[in-house]
Amino acid sequence: MIEIRFHGRGGQGAVTAVKILASAIYLEGKFTQAIPMYGTERRGAPVAAFCRVDDTRIRERDLVHEPDMVVVLDPLLNRSVDVTDGLKKGGLVIVNHPGAAKDTGLAGDFKVATVDATKIALDVIGRPITNTAILGAFAKATGLVKLESLAEAVKSELPARLIPTNVDAMKKAYEATNAPVDASGFKKAEIVKKTSTQPMISYSRNVSDWRVIRPVVDKAKCVGCKRCWVYCPETAISLVDNKAEINYDYCKGCGICSEECLVHAIKMEREEV
Amino acid sequence: MKSEVMVGNKAVAYATKLARANLIAAYPITPQTTIVEYLSDFVAGGDLKAEFVTVEGEITAQLVCLSGSIAGARTFTATSGEGLLYMSHALHHTARYWAPVVMAVCNRSVRTMQPDHTDLLAQRETGWIQLYCENNQEVLDTGIMAYKIAEDDRVRLPVAYALDGYVLSFTAEPVEIPDQEKVDAWLPPFKTQYPVLPETWDHDLEEYKKHWAQGKGINEPFTPFAGDENFSHLTMVSWGKGHDLQWRWRAHQEAMMRAKKVIREVNEDYGKHFGRSYGNGLLEEYRTEDADAVIVAMGTLASTSRVAVDNLRKQGKKIGLVKLKSYRPFPDEEFRDIGKRVGTIGVIDRNISLGENGIAYGSIRSSVYDLKDRPKVLGFYAGLAGREVRVRDIEKAAEMTLKGAEGAPTWIG
Repeated sequence: MIEIRFHGRGGQGAVTAVKILASAIYLEGKFTQAIPMYGTERRGAPVAAFCRVDDTRIRERDLVHEPDMVVVLDPLLNRSVDVTDGLKKGGLVIVNHPGAAKDTGLAGDFKVATVDATKIALDVIGRPITNTAILGAFAKATGLVKLESLAEAVKSELPARLIPTNVDAMKKAYEATNAPVDASGFKKAEIVKKTSTQPMISYSRNVSDWRVIRPVVDKAKCVGCKRCWVYCPETAISLVDNKAEINYDYCKGCGICSEECLVHAIKMEREEV
Repeated sequence: MKSEVMVGNKAVAYATKLARANLIAAYPITPQTTIVEYLSDFVAGGDLKAEFVTVEGEITAQLVCLSGSIAGARTFTATSGEGLLYMSHALHHTARYWAPVVMAVCNRSVRTMQPDHTDLLAQRETGWIQLYCENNQEVLDTGIMAYKIAEDDRVRLPVAYALDGYVLSFTAEPVEIPDQEKVDAWLPPFKTQYPVLPETWDHDLEEYKKHWAQGKGINEPFTPFAGDENFSHLTMVSWGKGHDLQWRWRAHQEAMMRAKKVIREVNEDYGKHFGRSYGNGLLEEYRTEDADAVIVAMGTLASTSRVAVDNLRKQGKKIGLVKLKSYRPFPDEEFRDIGKRVGTIGVIDRNISLGENGIAYGSIRSSVYDLKDRPKVLGFYAGLAGREVRVRDIEKAAEMTLKGAEGAPTWIG
């Protein structure tokens, strides 16, 4: 049995990714299981999902604790979650990261393959939803599933209008995947567990690493109408000298302010990794 | 026959569609919500010809199904946890009117949103048949079988079939979908026993008019079973035997007992037609042939237990599994038979009757009490409030069962 664990953030599509993967591998004649881990998901918060593959019907009903492979949909996730926890020796990590394997902050007795899935998703789909792109990279790095099967499986999981771009993102990621590299000599990034005694609202925790894209205010264009201030769900916007000022500790990068700004003074820019 | 990787909730929706339920009323609650969503998609897309009634709560959902069923509709509802508790008094009414409503329950603990069986087991005195499923395929098959069991003339009782919330409701795995024609051939359209609408009633309207013309009225039952007191419940007459209505409970109990035979038959017949059956319908034995001891589990715990039993068998340990599928009616004869063969029975309950013990534990212990040479019965609690149950947890319970260790019920996991 092959066990795979997906790490992502709410909104990146980790749950849909495991369902597409399970359907695709089933199309190739193997038994599969796709399990989401449900809790209090919201956009940006760390989530996990699991996939099992076997030659016979799968009877295990627990979560995956010792995966053979780990897929990470977000480049900064390993700063707050130990994504390689329990990963089998000699295992494989496929991570969405713009840099090389050594820059990912993942280190241990396993291999790391990288792909800049966020860039591909933004270019092709227009939104930083990286699940289909990372599946293309998964197909390339593992050889466990064919690209055609994934393209077929997408049809039952996504609305028709989204299929062409997502299949395209898969193909682009398949071609752009960097081959797996041994990670035993790398330096592991420190995992900072952000704890708080306060209720878990944005005021009591720093959510800056939940962001993929950040709003940037063009102060020259801003007319101080407070529209963004009204619409920001995190109250992360204040008015300083009658111009919008964003508190990036509490901004999750949802982009509502940019959508709502009538004078187009707020642009969304990709976060540096 | 098609097959698809689908979540448990979609399997429920497919079963309902294949059974051609034509009246659906449900109120959304996590983790049941997507059942209602899939079904409303089917109805809106024209794939399922049904009246979809949106209601303001679970009591109404159940009462719409009850009244619709009396009028001749094949009905379906679904709920979870607190929604089921809110529905509780209506459950009694549906059972009391012998309306063969079918309901899917995504088990949800009343302590968290995660699964345990306490929600449905708390309804065990409502007079509903209760079936617990271990995988999505069984969910789909049971969803079809439920109608055949409920609508059988010897039963005519409502059926609830359960799937563990999240663990099945949101886990996707391959499920084979039977052909509609085959299901149609196996499951005939529903006819009500109640004379409400002539077109949905399975008696001759002219005969019924004569019955009234002869001045017999409602005090003389008009059903194919008129005169058979076991079936006099089907007449809606509640004063036929004076004011003593205890017979209503007695008749209900007798129907529940008859249901055991019907469940066995329907399960076997389903196997003949669709190639899949589940034990004898009431329970399933797994590797119990030469077992010294067995563990008993319900729902998805049975699935995980199979892996644990296989692992221990590899080590030469003679352990088996009994999957308890039907909690109501309870297969006490089967447990007596198992009790004669094994030394110890370890019951793993994903539920608790607070102040006493695990619910299945109590029932099984009571079943084997009259045996001359009765086995030890041990109780374990696992997976309550959605706590994850790993294979090693079940192995631990199985090892303790093999040792026959005495003691009060043990919490594992």
